[in-house]
Amino acid sequence: MAGLLLSPTEKVFIVHGVQEDYRSDGRSNIDYRPMELETDVVSHASGSARLRLANTDILVGVKTEIDIPTPENPDLGKIEFFVDCSANATPEFEGRGGEQLAIGISNLMQRAYHSSQAFNLKQLCIVESKQCWKLYVDILILECGGNLCDAVSLAVKAALFNTRIPFVKAALMDGGNVDLQLSDDPYDSKLLDVGSAPLLVTLCKIGDKCVVDPSAEEESCSVISVIVGITGNSSCYCEDNSSPETGGKFTTIDMNGPGSVAPKTLKDAINQGIVAAKLLDKSLGEALLRERQESVKLKKYSYGFLK
Amino acid sequence: MTRHVKIRLASERVNHSVSSNNELPRFYTPGEVITGMQDFMRGHGTYAEDDSLKASVAGVMQKVNKLICIRPLKSRYVGEIGDVVVGRVLEVQQRRWKVETNSRLDSVLQLSSVNLPGGELRRRSEEDELMMRKHLQEGDLISAEVQSVFSDGSLSLHTRSLKYGKLSQGILIKVFPSLIKRRKNHFHNLPCGISVIIGNNGYIWISPQEKSNMVEGEKDEIANIESQTVNRSERETMGRVKNCIAALVASKMMLDDTSIMFAYEESLKYEDVKDLLDTEAMLDVAFLTQHRINYVDED
Amino acid sequence: MPGPDLLSSQGLRLDGRRPNELRRIRCKLGVFAQPDGSAYLEQGNTKVLAAVYGPHQASKSKSLQDGVVVNCQYSMATFSTGERKNHPRGDRKSQEMSMHLRQALTAAIKTELYPRSQIDIYVEVLQADGGAYCASVNAATLALIDAGIPLRAYACACSASMAWRNGKPEPLLDVGHVEEAAGGVVLTVASLPSTGSIGLIEMSHRLHMDYFDVVLSRAMQGCRDIEVILDRAVREHLAEGWTKQDVVVI
Repeated sequence: MAGLLLSPTEKVFIVHGVQEDYRSDGRSNIDYRPMELETDVVSHASGSARLRLANTDILVGVKTEIDIPTPENPDLGKIEFFVDCSANATPEFEGRGGEQLAIGISNLMQRAYHSSQAFNLKQLCIVESKQCWKLYVDILILECGGNLCDAVSLAVKAALFNTRIPFVKAALMDGGNVDLQLSDDPYDSKLLDVGSAPLLVTLCKIGDKCVVDPSAEEESCSVISVIVGITGNSSCYCEDNSSPETGGKFTTIDMNGPGSVAPKTLKDAINQGIVAAKLLDKSLGEALLRERQESVKLKKYSYGFLK
Repeated sequence: MTRHVKIRLASERVNHSVSSNNELPRFYTPGEVITGMQDFMRGHGTYAEDDSLKASVAGVMQKVNKLICIRPLKSRYVGEIGDVVVGRVLEVQQRRWKVETNSRLDSVLQLSSVNLPGGELRRRSEEDELMMRKHLQEGDLISAEVQSVFSDGSLSLHTRSLKYGKLSQGILIKVFPSLIKRRKNHFHNLPCGISVIIGNNGYIWISPQEKSNMVEGEKDEIANIESQTVNRSERETMGRVKNCIAALVASKMMLDDTSIMFAYEESLKYEDVKDLLDTEAMLDVAFLTQHRINYVDED
Repeated sequence: MPGPDLLSSQGLRLDGRRPNELRRIRCKLGVFAQPDGSAYLEQGNTKVLAAVYGPHQASKSKSLQDGVVVNCQYSMATFSTGERKNHPRGDRKSQEMSMHLRQALTAAIKTELYPRSQIDIYVEVLQADGGAYCASVNAATLALIDAGIPLRAYACACSASMAWRNGKPEPLLDVGHVEEAAGGVVLTVASLPSTGSIGLIEMSHRLHMDYFDVVLSRAMQGCRDIEVILDRAVREHLAEGWTKQDVVVI
């Protein structure tokens, strides 16, 4: 993202604020701005979610397709991420302007979901070595107000939570070729197990300290930011708390920016990230379960962008 | 209990409108005929076609004697002579600076329109041109006044007064220009201890109050004050004012020093400044402020 | 010529509508904070977002002396269609749509007021169920109004097709995706309904000259109906956003 232009004195003000753990809008270094979440907003997709984090707006759609598993992993399905920076966010994203940023984020997400402890691809397998599900996770960035990676990972997790995969009714083996019959009923489907899906936390180094959820102005003041991917806690996503507590494991780490960071600061930043990720995960789980209960009680009314 | 992360659902979304529906004015939409008579002069937002005056934007009509304008809810800043603006320097050119002021063309600050350090009055020499960058660089924020408007609509600014000039530590907030009322004074020292510059172009600058009188030209002193740490209580007040302005903007209320002060006083019941980031709190503050303003009007 | 299945014996179309019935239109202005103007529009199951930036200083290469440069981009999200679309923009269809958008909207904007400036209009199709171009023009008009950019009149777009009923031609208004895929002519018209002038006409397949007028006038009627709906939405938006004490009438 092209940084906002700031005067040197404005930067001094922001840096001093971060040192004192009191940012310009009253938040502390580990506070997130209020977010809004809605799932099932796109009807053509198997699962979708929209997340609004202050000025950042992300829309995620998940599509399913039948594919052949790779020979090295015959019992695993596939997942692929695609990020599109819409020009709605800023005129710089017109045409191919946002491509570098988009590729960076999609690669980061791909790495974060790579481990089997993060997202179990076994649940996408239909017939071993013959057929599996492939998930296309399409991320659309509608507005950019700082802190893209966190918002993207939250929206992706919510969309995957919302995804329904049709049940395979019959599989006819026709001389080596497999013919699948999928159930036509939209409610005859299974949900994915996404409790342990990773969340990304961006820690922006401003001065000596690190902040989470930087606003666009704060991002312009920092020389380097550390992005960590931490697996989630499955127990937050079960209504009856039956799953054991998991999570808190690293899946990926990335750095962004022209500066550098000392090893001790890096360790502190990572610990801060783990704490923040746990809090994020808990809140996201609560919100998603609340929404699911609401849609069970009353017929789901889609708000989307209206209201 | 203060939580660090708050996620709400779309079904819990809050409507920010605080307007009362009983006294709505006549709205005009693009292409609508305002009047058929020809002896009216057409102002902004109107155009003449087939002997009638039609609206070209969606908004309310403003009629001053024979001049009819339509004012839209939102638009880029249209400058007028005498307006106070807050702008950011984009480029340093040959004898002028290009300043961004949220209008449709970049504004210009001529070298001849700034006060020289030391307060001298003389023609600008070659040396001054070379020293331009020392005075104002790319990214610096300035407060200035509109000196004149060029034929294509771009503005020429000047800072020929001690109250204008480069801005030091503080917070900049961008709002829509139509939310700013035209007043005589745009530099306010709020009773809570901070000063606010409300630019007509929608840029609002919040900064701690200047404690002592500075003599222009003392470079060391200025440098010290620029990098001095703002103390904690002032920071809290600035954060609170920033969140109050955001609350007023979300409910599309007009901004001036009275509404900001009312909002500040109403927000004191939220002890923690970051609680004001919640949409319910923002609506609450805006609603109470609107109530107080109505009350003052009725008196 | 279109087959008989577009119109049932009771006179209902494939999605249950009557021949001159528009799909339900829901819209909202000002959905985003960063662009100068933004709007969201739903026409049936087609959902479109439009954002407008400007007028702002034009880049030196594009600047025009006598008017404003209108820059449009039409982009479809990868999950917008039934089959996943690999490239949101950059392919020929999107570029063609961008040019059509520009054509239709430039006719409505009062370009002579802003020399050396540029207006950027970005449209993102979130869900495409037929008539995405028409919905884009309508959403872009709302976004322009939200940004306070002077327009000559509303720019509305509508599509029309033709079916046969009892041997007589019956034009169908507001073609949906199912009807588009069933074959048959689709005439798309972008016009300024209050002046009656047409900004853009586009037609797919073949249509006999004898029936052209009928289909065209049905599409123009559709544009006028859409203008009424958009106007109502704009007035509602103004009513919500207007607060007291800011108007002076002497």
